[in-house]
Amino acid sequence: MREIPTATAQCFFEDVEVNVPLKTPGVTLTRAHVALFTGLTGEVAPADPDTVPSLLPLSLSSGLGWRVPRPPLVVLAFMGFEWRFLAPLRIGDTIHSLSRTLTKRSMREGGVVIEERKVINQRDETVQEGKLTLLVARRPAA
Amino acid sequence: MAGPPVLSYGPVEGHPGVFFEDLAVGQEFTSPGRTVTETDIVIFAGLSGDYNVLHTDAEHMKSSIFGERIAHGLLGLSIEHGLASRGEPAAAHGVLSGLKWKFKGPIKIGDTIHVRSRIAAKKDGPDPRCGLVTVERELVNQLGEVVQEGETEHAVERRR
Repeated sequence: MREIPTATAQCFFEDVEVNVPLKTPGVTLTRAHVALFTGLTGEVAPADPDTVPSLLPLSLSSGLGWRVPRPPLVVLAFMGFEWRFLAPLRIGDTIHSLSRTLTKRSMREGGVVIEERKVINQRDETVQEGKLTLLVARRPAA
Repeated sequence: MAGPPVLSYGPVEGHPGVFFEDLAVGQEFTSPGRTVTETDIVIFAGLSGDYNVLHTDAEHMKSSIFGERIAHGLLGLSIEHGLASRGEPAAAHGVLSGLKWKFKGPIKIGDTIHVRSRIAAKKDGPDPRCGLVTVERELVNQLGEVVQEGETEHAVERRR
């Protein structure tokens, strides 16, 4: 699957390739991200204004995941995940995400894909990582 | 709900926050509720960049198993985290070190959710200044259905 991605192209369960690394573009973490995120979640804002809430980079990685050289995965449901927070992030840090499919398993309604994902900072240090379980649609019969 | 007020990024103003020694296995907490709105979903889509049709295309979702747009799973988790910070003791110095999470059911626009949590375990960690606290969590909707559940692990500073 090496076609040029377009807005309408989609990656179905059958198209998922195991063990192919996908690297996203980067995003620089700003005070605006933190203000929007803490306002949305209602959590107590960090005492140190340069602190980045732990769940913000994880949330940003899900959007970054759409910006890879592969059409968007047709996710029917995000089933669950395990995640480790390895090092703190600060305002001004730039993160990107690196992911690959570890396994895919066919189900009646679609297929289950286990994705490994790392959030990496500008010094190439992995700051967060984990495994996500996604239910992905099958390609509809033509 | 008895017990020390507010495991987040820092203590509430005027409250020193709790230390590892202040937390006991079996302590339970219930957060306030929060009604999830369309606005919450739109802001999360804009902030995260996750514009999956599940969350943004009302017409497409009419024919889905959900029948309507649903909140991003990670939005639910993020709101869970915010609610928990209002219903659990804040660690004087604590950080989230890991989590295991299951998305069991959809959160729809207008649903009101709250958090039930329980301190499940305390143990030593790699850093002698901190202990690790495991908290079991359930995110519950207005019908009493558990829509998300899992456990979070927090590194919480010890008293010196």
